[in-house]
Amino acid sequence: MIVNKKYIKRHKMGFVYFHWINAVSFFMLLLTALPLYADSFRFLYDTFGAATLQYAHRVFAVIFILNPIIGLVTAHDGIRRLVKEVVSFGRDDIVFNQKFPAELIGKEPEGIPPQSFYNGGEKMNILLQAVLWALLVISGAVLWFGDGVVSPVIRTWMIPLHSICAGFGFAAAIGHIYLAVGVNPDSCHGMLDGTVKASYAVKHHGKWVDELVAQSSLTEDEVKKAVEADEPVEDASIQARPV
Amino acid sequence: MAKEIAMLHDVARCSACRACMVACKQWHDLPADMSTPFEGQYQSHKELTPTTWNLIQMNERVDSDGKFHWDFFKRQCMHCSDPACAKGCPEEAIEKLDNGAVVINQDKCVSCGYCAHNCPFDVPKVNAETNKSTKCDLCFDRIAEGMEPACSKTCTADAIRFGTKEEMLKRAEQRVAILKQEGHQDANVYNPQGVGGIHMLYVLPEKPSVYDLPENPQTPNSIDLWKDVVRPLGKIAGAGAIVGVLGMAAFKKLANREKGEK
Repeated sequence: MIVNKKYIKRHKMGFVYFHWINAVSFFMLLLTALPLYADSFRFLYDTFGAATLQYAHRVFAVIFILNPIIGLVTAHDGIRRLVKEVVSFGRDDIVFNQKFPAELIGKEPEGIPPQSFYNGGEKMNILLQAVLWALLVISGAVLWFGDGVVSPVIRTWMIPLHSICAGFGFAAAIGHIYLAVGVNPDSCHGMLDGTVKASYAVKHHGKWVDELVAQSSLTEDEVKKAVEADEPVEDASIQARPV
Repeated sequence: MAKEIAMLHDVARCSACRACMVACKQWHDLPADMSTPFEGQYQSHKELTPTTWNLIQMNERVDSDGKFHWDFFKRQCMHCSDPACAKGCPEEAIEKLDNGAVVINQDKCVSCGYCAHNCPFDVPKVNAETNKSTKCDLCFDRIAEGMEPACSKTCTADAIRFGTKEEMLKRAEQRVAILKQEGHQDANVYNPQGVGGIHMLYVLPEKPSVYDLPENPQTPNSIDLWKDVVRPLGKIAGAGAIVGVLGMAAFKKLANREKGEK
């Protein structure tokens, strides 16, 4: 479905909310626990009070845990797509992951195979975040409710586990944000109103566009027109490849 | 260095009068736990609480010969020589004094509960009202003034003794020898080395597990992993990601500029 002449519908709004609730709660969880991780953030405890931040950490934890569970209903299609894409990790994704990094520093590597709904890097990020979510939830729940239930021998290991997941999650999130805002600003649009430029879709998710055409959700003609509608933009870097 | 001290609970001598529990509450000005339900036993509290740092646990037991025993065990902080609570405290709020007492500094404590998770004996309890972690402090303030802890001072049965660690170990060995003569073949001094030895020694007529004590508790390696590996690695990963991203952004800008010039 073409929206506003040059956009293709990519995400349903339920999935967009799912993404942002996860993002905000993750960063709030990180901030509210940071003083325990790094002494240089001790000022957060001094400013807001340790009890307040620890309470807030639990509130955001509940949101962080419930979000994907509620998402199974409200972002059903999007989550099914996540799972489907991750399990279909294949040869093209490996080639993508080998060639793409040059794009990070502004180069335009040749021979990147067309990517499906998510590219190889996104698939890895999705899988990583899903695994980290599960580990954070398990270790966090043991730390929260484990007193008197779970043996101290096990509980003590949950502290490094929880910490390392938070550390890797944060590092991955920074990379994710850079790719979205710095490298492919057009992709952000998909997380605002759920649509992306047709030109972006054709360039970065060629297989997905083909899939849409094959499903008759779009015609090739519509795609071509939508891409052309975007042609006169000034920034040469986001111009579409010829269809 | 101050002399290493120790307290000794002689389980075989304890009469479970619980005067030590009262004395502890009195000295530390701790309120009664009014929510303790009556469950048809003499046992008062089930477990240590943020306002009960010393607890006589009463356990009814029938041994393999069908003989009935009523065990009285003084549960409290063990004051380990290698204290997991202090080691894993992110705020360095727990200090092991030269004399061996392990004490929580309430001003520094932020109530993260890591001490409670790390303790192999499950001793520290976080007080949700004051948002501070709590446990027995071995009456370090009394010791500093040349007094003995409130509990040992008040013990009528001479079951709780206090003195230098050397004295206490010696006394404990003597008591174990007597108990063995009396037929308690498994009698032992509880002073586990996995936590560096403890300053709350026990004379046990039976094996430690009979009193729900871990046979071989360890100061967990997870703390070293967390302090020496995870925390630095997490910081490097986080800071590295930010620096890396900024670096790539700069590169990208340069590359774009070159393209523009061409």
